[in-house]
Amino acid sequence: MDAEDQRAPSAGTTSASGSGHDRRATPAVYVPERRLADRRIGRNLPASVLTPPAPPPPPHLDDYASIVGRAQIDALRFLAHELRGKSIKMVNSTALGGGVAEMLNRLVPLLSELQVPAHWDVITGGNDFFEVTKAFHNALHGSAYELTQAAKDIFLMYTEQNRQRMHFDEELVVIHDPQPVGLVLSRGKTRASWVWRCHIDLSNPDRKVWDFLRPFVEQYDAAIFSSQSFARQLSIPQYLFYPCIDPLSEKNRELSDAEIQQVCDDFAIDRSRPIVTQVSRFDRLKDPVGVVKAYKLAKKYVDCQLVLAGGGASDDPEGAAVLQEVRDEAGEDPDIIILDLPPWCALQINALQRASTIIVQKSLKEGFGLTVTEALWKGKPTIAGAVGGIPNQIIHKLTGVLVHSVEGCAFQIRYLLTHPEFARTIGANGREHVKENFLMTTNVKRWLLLFRLLEQAKARMPKAA
Amino acid sequence: MASAPKAPVRKPDAPFYFNTSEHLLRIGRYKANNLSELLRAMQACPEDCIFQHTFRTLQEHHFIRQGFSNDFAHWSLSSCNEPELAERLAGVDVRDFTALEGIRHRMIEIIRDFVAAHPESGSRPAHEPFYFCASDIVLLPTPYAPDTLQGFLDGLQHVSVHSIHHHFIEARLRLKRMSNDFSVWLEEDVGLNEAANDIERIDIYTNTMEGVRLKIGRIVAHAVS
Repeated sequence: MDAEDQRAPSAGTTSASGSGHDRRATPAVYVPERRLADRRIGRNLPASVLTPPAPPPPPHLDDYASIVGRAQIDALRFLAHELRGKSIKMVNSTALGGGVAEMLNRLVPLLSELQVPAHWDVITGGNDFFEVTKAFHNALHGSAYELTQAAKDIFLMYTEQNRQRMHFDEELVVIHDPQPVGLVLSRGKTRASWVWRCHIDLSNPDRKVWDFLRPFVEQYDAAIFSSQSFARQLSIPQYLFYPCIDPLSEKNRELSDAEIQQVCDDFAIDRSRPIVTQVSRFDRLKDPVGVVKAYKLAKKYVDCQLVLAGGGASDDPEGAAVLQEVRDEAGEDPDIIILDLPPWCALQINALQRASTIIVQKSLKEGFGLTVTEALWKGKPTIAGAVGGIPNQIIHKLTGVLVHSVEGCAFQIRYLLTHPEFARTIGANGREHVKENFLMTTNVKRWLLLFRLLEQAKARMPKAA
Repeated sequence: MASAPKAPVRKPDAPFYFNTSEHLLRIGRYKANNLSELLRAMQACPEDCIFQHTFRTLQEHHFIRQGFSNDFAHWSLSSCNEPELAERLAGVDVRDFTALEGIRHRMIEIIRDFVAAHPESGSRPAHEPFYFCASDIVLLPTPYAPDTLQGFLDGLQHVSVHSIHHHFIEARLRLKRMSNDFSVWLEEDVGLNEAANDIERIDIYTNTMEGVRLKIGRIVAHAVS
């Protein structure tokens, strides 16, 4: 009996794989509490996947020098020098979870290391407040919403409570997103410049909600958006800060080949054959079913495996429904590997992206699309839908390829798999594009530049008598 | 026949101060949904928008060796599907100009001629709007201020590509002459006229900015060897 024969059958399978007749009936799906469901191996999942790993210590500024170059770190230190002794307050609505908190977790220590102390405060509120702000969030994204006086009153009441609780002694106050936008009512009592950092797409907001929030926004000194297309016409200056990734995080750090191989072994992915991967939660707007269709069209001409790695199916009824749709579309194809991963699997996602030959992000609607940024950073030829902030990252045929349909996606999979030189070139360009524009160090630089410009503007203003 | 020995290179009269510039992108008020709107916006937008979409975008895409010239050309192709117009706009070499108004007029002329020749193109909706942006610029020194050619080569190797862009490309707008900071220094403070000319002739549209750095280094190293 060889090693393969000794493997235990996995959940959802009827027998160990090996010969054609006893292959499992559905593509591989990993759900955390189960054993790995896979056609070839059936061992227990590694402990690192089942439980959240301890967070690594945050990196220091000098750790980035080998990635972005010493000159860039010098520039940051020089920019910060003039700001020494001045401080920043960042305010958002949650300390845990979500892209904003993740970004602040890295940004705040780096600014402090540059001797520009940054304080991070979080607003508080009851369930009623966060229900209202969630509704505002959706309405600003364009969903239908009937704004009521009661909702306005709840928003204003908690805004007032937070204003009473918070102090704004810093030189720069940065308010993130709509939930705490009303804190600007405190600006009269402060010496600070006030900036509103909007992480969401305001291109098509519900008119009533925007009309309610806009008077707050226009009391700031500046607003910051993640894409030109997300902005509104405002009476205040608007800046463009692209979202960023941290090249030293578990999701993006360099991995050894052994680490990549381990993850591929765990998920039964064959690295000797081309791997096409989409990483995103099971959400119709990410079009995972369209990706399966594109793979099937491409597979008529080129050999490849498809990995769909995401999450959200276990805690979201719609995610579970989408996962089922994906499984139905995948049918019995053993080369489609569907992984429903828990949110702490950053290392595994990193390895899957690095093991991939091509990465796809065939979104139908998108925010900025940080999974695209991650793919580009890993030097992978990337195919993505031309929506949201993706065209900021993918310059068609230069840093990746943009597609608008299943057929277009299928063609580009075929083309990239059969033109490796072109694939290598756009992959290398994509990595440079991220290095120049979408890394944490660039984000730190933008904050320092903005802080300096606002301080200079303040110094030019006539002093009150 | 042996060539005549080179004259010894003189010590520079003044140090070369490597500086760099950092940019913060501002979202402008103008937006174009078709070529006619682009034309109107280009006539009305502030100069710093023209700078952003020509000089500055080259810096942002310094790693691309071919196929990217300026944002107007890129948009004409990717959003308006007008390859002829895109080619003509991409052919505008920012180094032919010492003032932004010159670039603005040249671009407007090209778009106006194209729309006149293809009237249906003017109002055809683009796939994506063109958003005019501008940059707020902060000038920064670097630790490198060499007063020898070897020191210059060392500094050249260590500064960021933004510094190379600042001295080699943006310098025209500051100097108001068809040259760059490296060539001016080599010519006026070191007397290396040939090297200065060779550097000025480096093609920025077929080289990455790292490639430009390498070529400048090779030219100077050859001049002093």
